[in-house]
Amino acid sequence: MEEPLGLASPGDTYSLRPAFRHRFRSSIVKECIHAILKENLANVQYNPEETPQLTRSLSDAIKDRLKEEGFHRYKMVVQVVIGEQRGEGVNMAARCFWDADTDNYAQDVFMNDSLFCVVAAFGCFYY
Amino acid sequence: MGGVGWGREALTGCCHRIGLRGASGAFLSTRVSHNARLRLLLRPETGGEQCKTSFVVDEVSNIIKEAVEGAIGGNAYQHSKVNQWTTSVVEQTLSQLTKLGKPFKYIVTCVIMQKNGAGLHTASSCFWDNTSDGNCTVRWENKTMYCIVSAFGLAI
Repeated sequence: MEEPLGLASPGDTYSLRPAFRHRFRSSIVKECIHAILKENLANVQYNPEETPQLTRSLSDAIKDRLKEEGFHRYKMVVQVVIGEQRGEGVNMAARCFWDADTDNYAQDVFMNDSLFCVVAAFGCFYY
Repeated sequence: MGGVGWGREALTGCCHRIGLRGASGAFLSTRVSHNARLRLLLRPETGGEQCKTSFVVDEVSNIIKEAVEGAIGGNAYQHSKVNQWTTSVVEQTLSQLTKLGKPFKYIVTCVIMQKNGAGLHTASSCFWDNTSDGNCTVRWENKTMYCIVSAFGLAI
């Protein structure tokens, strides 16, 4: 039995694409990340004992913040890299195999005198 | 009933071309007339035909190791080439992962750092389905540099 087109019915509510306002928008996510980094790393010195714990707690904090933002039906991956600044060369790259229409990423870098921090947050839509 | 859920039940109406290979091997068509057929194609394990839908860490770990060895195997750190190296490690890993043909979206990241006595820490936090999704991180080093590659697989 075909339902007439254009009439909303309880069965037609599963969407396979997010609405624009529900997309994983890079700009919004980057602002969230930037705020958290500024708050947590402003005057922190690199410390081999404490930095591992700091890295973990930062990634959890960012993930929780993104969950609060309300990206419905998005699976999220947040990766945080913190390194000591000693003049060494570092290079970081990422590639993704996903649906470019629905999925996106955001990244931010924070530096102070003793450390640098790179955060990459990826969001993949769950169909 | 109704409302958006992670629902396996209320799948209806027109299905967009998302390029999935269905249980029968045919691409998902743009017109789906029956709820159950769409559910079967997106979630084959509910229909009886078994499909490998979990992330296998060992397999991915081997793929990553081969890609790293192939790209930077016997080389010393060179600032002019490191950009090209990270790109090729990541691209090689990703192309091998996609050749596995599993219904996953992949994210691969690579960090190459010169050995200088400095410390480096990475952490990742993920919001996903633990039963089907997974990640694999490989740490590799030689005399002049460290290379850390992480691959995340998220089931569709």
